Amino acid sequence: MTGVPLSAYLVLALVLFCIGLYGALTKRNAVIVLISIELMLNAANINLVAFSKLGVTPSITGQVFSLFTITIAAAEAAVGLAILMSLYRNRKTVNVDEMDIMKH
Amino acid sequence: MNVYLLSLLVFSPLLGIVMVALMPKKEERTIKQFGFFGTLPPLFLSFFLCSQYYSGVALSLFDIKVNWIRFGNLEVYDPKLFTVNFELGLDGLSLIFILLTTIISSLAAIASIYIKQEWKGYYLLFLILEIGMLGVFTAENLILFFIFFEMTLIPAFFLIGRWGFLEREKASYSFLIYNGIGSAVLLVVILILFARTGTTNIAALTQMMTMGGVSLFAPISGSMKYGLCLAFLIAFAVKLPVFPFHSWMVRVHAEAPPSIVMIHAGVLLKIGAYGIIRFGMGIFPEQYKSLAFTVVLFGVLSFLYGAFLALVQTDFKLVLAYSSISHMGIVMMGLGALNEAGIQGAIFQVISHGLIAALLFFLVGVLYERTGTTMLPKLGGLAKSMPVFSGFMLACGMASLGLPGMSGFISEFMVFLGLFKSQPTLAAVGVIGLILTAVYILRAVMLMTFGKTNSLVEKEKWDLKGLEFVPALVLLGLIISVGVYPNLLGGPLQGTIEAMMLALGGR
Amino acid sequence: MMENAWLIPIFPLVTFLVLLLSGGRLRERGAYIGIICTLASFILSLLVLMERFKEPTYKITIDWLSIGGTQLKAGFEINQLNALMLVIVSLVSLLVQLYSKGYMKGEERFSTFYAYLGFFTFAMLGLVMAPNLLQLYFFWELVGVGSFLLIGFYYYKQEAKNAAKKAFIMTRIGDVGLLVGIILLFWGTGSFEYGEIFQAVQSGVISNEGLTLIAILIFIGAVGKSGQFPLHSWLPDAMEGPTPVSALIHAATMVAAGVYLVATMFPLFLASSAAMQVVAITGGFTAIFAASIALVQKDVKRVLAYSTVSQLGFMMLALGTAGYVAGVFHLMTHAFFKALLFLAAGSVIHAIHTQDIEKMGGLWGKLNWTGPLFLTGTLAISGFPLLSGFFSKDEILMAAWENGNYLLFALAVITSFLTAFYMFRLFFMIFTGESRSQVKQVKESPSIMLLPMLVLAFLAVISGYVQTPWFGTFLGEWLMEGNETLLGGNSHSEGPVWIMVMAVLVSLAGIFLAYMIYAKKKLPRSWLVQENNEFYRVLDNKYYIDEIYHFTVGYAIKGLSLFLSYIERFIVGGVVSTVTISIEGLGKIGSKLQTGQVQRYGMIAFLGLAVLLVIFAVTGGYLR
Repeated sequence: MTGVPLSAYLVLALVLFCIGLYGALTKRNAVIVLISIELMLNAANINLVAFSKLGVTPSITGQVFSLFTITIAAAEAAVGLAILMSLYRNRKTVNVDEMDIMKH
Repeated sequence: MNVYLLSLLVFSPLLGIVMVALMPKKEERTIKQFGFFGTLPPLFLSFFLCSQYYSGVALSLFDIKVNWIRFGNLEVYDPKLFTVNFELGLDGLSLIFILLTTIISSLAAIASIYIKQEWKGYYLLFLILEIGMLGVFTAENLILFFIFFEMTLIPAFFLIGRWGFLEREKASYSFLIYNGIGSAVLLVVILILFARTGTTNIAALTQMMTMGGVSLFAPISGSMKYGLCLAFLIAFAVKLPVFPFHSWMVRVHAEAPPSIVMIHAGVLLKIGAYGIIRFGMGIFPEQYKSLAFTVVLFGVLSFLYGAFLALVQTDFKLVLAYSSISHMGIVMMGLGALNEAGIQGAIFQVISHGLIAALLFFLVGVLYERTGTTMLPKLGGLAKSMPVFSGFMLACGMASLGLPGMSGFISEFMVFLGLFKSQPTLAAVGVIGLILTAVYILRAVMLMTFGKTNSLVEKEKWDLKGLEFVPALVLLGLIISVGVYPNLLGGPLQGTIEAMMLALGGR
Repeated sequence: MMENAWLIPIFPLVTFLVLLLSGGRLRERGAYIGIICTLASFILSLLVLMERFKEPTYKITIDWLSIGGTQLKAGFEINQLNALMLVIVSLVSLLVQLYSKGYMKGEERFSTFYAYLGFFTFAMLGLVMAPNLLQLYFFWELVGVGSFLLIGFYYYKQEAKNAAKKAFIMTRIGDVGLLVGIILLFWGTGSFEYGEIFQAVQSGVISNEGLTLIAILIFIGAVGKSGQFPLHSWLPDAMEGPTPVSALIHAATMVAAGVYLVATMFPLFLASSAAMQVVAITGGFTAIFAASIALVQKDVKRVLAYSTVSQLGFMMLALGTAGYVAGVFHLMTHAFFKALLFLAAGSVIHAIHTQDIEKMGGLWGKLNWTGPLFLTGTLAISGFPLLSGFFSKDEILMAAWENGNYLLFALAVITSFLTAFYMFRLFFMIFTGESRSQVKQVKESPSIMLLPMLVLAFLAVISGYVQTPWFGTFLGEWLMEGNETLLGGNSHSEGPVWIMVMAVLVSLAGIFLAYMIYAKKKLPRSWLVQENNEFYRVLDNKYYIDEIYHFTVGYAIKGLSLFLSYIERFIVGGVVSTVTISIEGLGKIGSKLQTGQVQRYGMIAFLGLAVLLVIFAVTGGYLR
């Protein structure tokens, strides 16, 4: 049974990660930045699952971990969105360029 | 019991810390009493150690060694490699420094009655400082030494910056920055040594470097040793301080509260000398020998520079600050003499200056408390309103200028005795400083106590009273007893100095 | 008895401690403690001296300080010179303390005065008993402090303050020379003990130049203490102290310590003819130099002070011309007659409350005791025949002649003429003529002050007879006993008889001249030199030595200090602030990069990671 090779999963994950990274670093809209971060996390999840199935020593641990990651990603998204909401209430914007109050 | 005695000594101020910490903030009297009592356990323990020493108990019996941290997994070679132990130990030299620390700490705690606010924080920091100082002099390895060394810096920083005079914050920052740079250099040296040899134990390092024992890893080349020795010297020269690294110390002396300067001039500066003796000279004797001329040169420079500048100061605290620089110059001169007389003289000078500076700054504290100034032009004729104070001031000035019968003479004499043997030219130049010292001390002391009574300072019942006699009498008593019978101090030092001379290669 | 000699200095130390700790509560009763303790010292010293006549030198030491394998010792030694000095010092101290009880009456810090006197006496006795050079130096400085405290006794007076400071610092200069000399000697001979040093010196372990250098350095110490040129100027200023102090410290004991030092180290000096030359020339020059200043001074104590400087020069001259006995002999007689003169001068000052001889005069009839006593002292110092000064001065002239240095001999003769002249000028100005004083009721001093003067006067008359050409040279033989080889041998200087005759004539000429000018007023006072004359002004201003020091050394040191404080402020401070400024600038640049844009931070972090990965890939993970 020859399925999809490991490298394909990895390439998919890489592409997803790069898209996510690009989005996180360049997009102005904070919502999109958050979505991009989700994308990066999911890229990592694909890796975890792919290695747990097709790695050198396959085990269930990778899949368990991906579940953890999804949970954390959800929590993170919730917190991120909550912060974003309160920011929006205060500053009337979701543009990350304008969020520079941590400046020196 | 023996094994835990040293740890008990080092951490005994904790008792006072707990007591002070449990007190409510406002209880001024109780806090001050507890703060003072907190310095007594180390004092008694150090006396006990001293009595043990004089009754013939070998000091090495008190050593303690507990495994603490291990790096890496190198048991296969040698289980001792890359471990840092909690190890404390004593020899004659550190015993004397411990005594100096505990005595001056207790007296400075008495002198702290002039602290006006936030007594709780003051005494907490004060006692932490004491732990640090005791640890520095008992630490048997470089990492532990460094930890305790840093432990003195932080409390001292707050003590200066919080309870000092007007420009205290600036002074405490420059204290922290200079000393921080010094300890950064020190840390680099310690880490290099650790990485290269796998040990930080002072005795092991000394043996490895002097006896030509090989380290398991990369052997240390000659030029590397040279650099490490130089780095040690610089790190501790900042602490001592030696010209041109002295400007922080002048500020600290002028701005810190007098009771803290007692500790600072009395003990903290001496860590510099202790470090040079233990590490610069002890671990790298060969390299130190070739640097000796430079050491003496900077010693003479500091000696004369401090003396000349003390001559024109108008603030008595600054006179004393520059005089400290000058006297630390004598220490360097002695250390660079490379013979028994010089090194012993340097150690004597360290102790003697500790006692004298502590007494002088105690008197400064009294003076400021009474008159509200230490500016020489505003003072004068104190011998009338404060005869006993003036007597102590004069006696202490005489001790500082090296009058025979006081400890200062013994040390200056020995340093010059040693120096005339090894560096006669520099010694001859240095001799001028002896005259200058007399000039600036007499100028300052006589401007204060002699002459017409200044209307500003004419009040009755200003003289020393009650508790103030304790530090004054104890310190003067020590100064005179060392001066009259120096073997009192010389005895415990013999072993250390002999070992050092052996490493330095004879006379 | 000699083994208990260590008690001699302890008694005065007890005085010091008791009076100091009592904190002035004893008031004038303090005097009894001082007098009783010093009396005990004196009796003990006398017993020790008696015993020393019969027994050999006694010496005991204990370990004091160990430096490596070397043990430095402390202890005491009783040899001939020490025993003699002990008696002189304790006697003069005792007499001065008796005298002070009257002189200092009513003084607020009366017991402090006695405490200081006790301290000084302790230090001086310790000095003369020292068995080695180190211990000698130890007490050498302590007597300096005693002198400093007593000169500055009237601490509220600006002059006293300055004089005390000057005395301490100028002697300190000498002391440093001495210290260096001692240290060099130690490295040369390996010991501080006199005996071992002399042995080593005689066996020739030190080169000739080395010996000369060491001897001159030690002599510098003596120059400082004994007020020899060029470190003499503190001694006249020291007269700001109470008069009994001047008698004790600045006439009889401490200033003689320099002479004592040279005498003690005499074998060392003998080994270097150049050093002997230096001692003799310094002594001779100081003698005539100070005598010339004394000619025109108007303050009675200053005249006596310059006279002391001059007489000390005489002693140095004697030692420098190998007249060991002559020097020590004159040291002894001078102690008595100069102490007498000071005490008598103090008595005069006590009576009329001025020190200016222009404001005295005609006191002979009013001070019935002081007058003759002063005259005795004056005659003794002038070398009037059959008084003590005559014999000792004679001995010095003989020594100078025998040594063959005729220039120094001539200097000595001229000085003795000058001495006779200025001393009698002083005497006639004070005691003859009409009264120029403001004080109408002149009262003689109380008997407690007169008694010590009587004792001193007695000694000033008879103490010369221990060493005369006619009744034997007892002192010289005793001093030489057992030390012939070390001290150069001769217990008595021989010279032609005409020297003695000439010395007498010269003294008498001086006295006669003073008599003509100041008593008879046959000759006008401007007969020798006009008051506004250049030469007079130079003498009056003491050759401007103080001014020269002030403008050279004083200004140089002050200038250097100011220069260094500029360096401190601008160069050292400048370097420090440059470092802080540049670090601050670096920090500012760093904070500029901190834009607050999270995405930019992320980008930089990512780039950094990328760079690291590239490096990792290229090097394979190992940085070499």
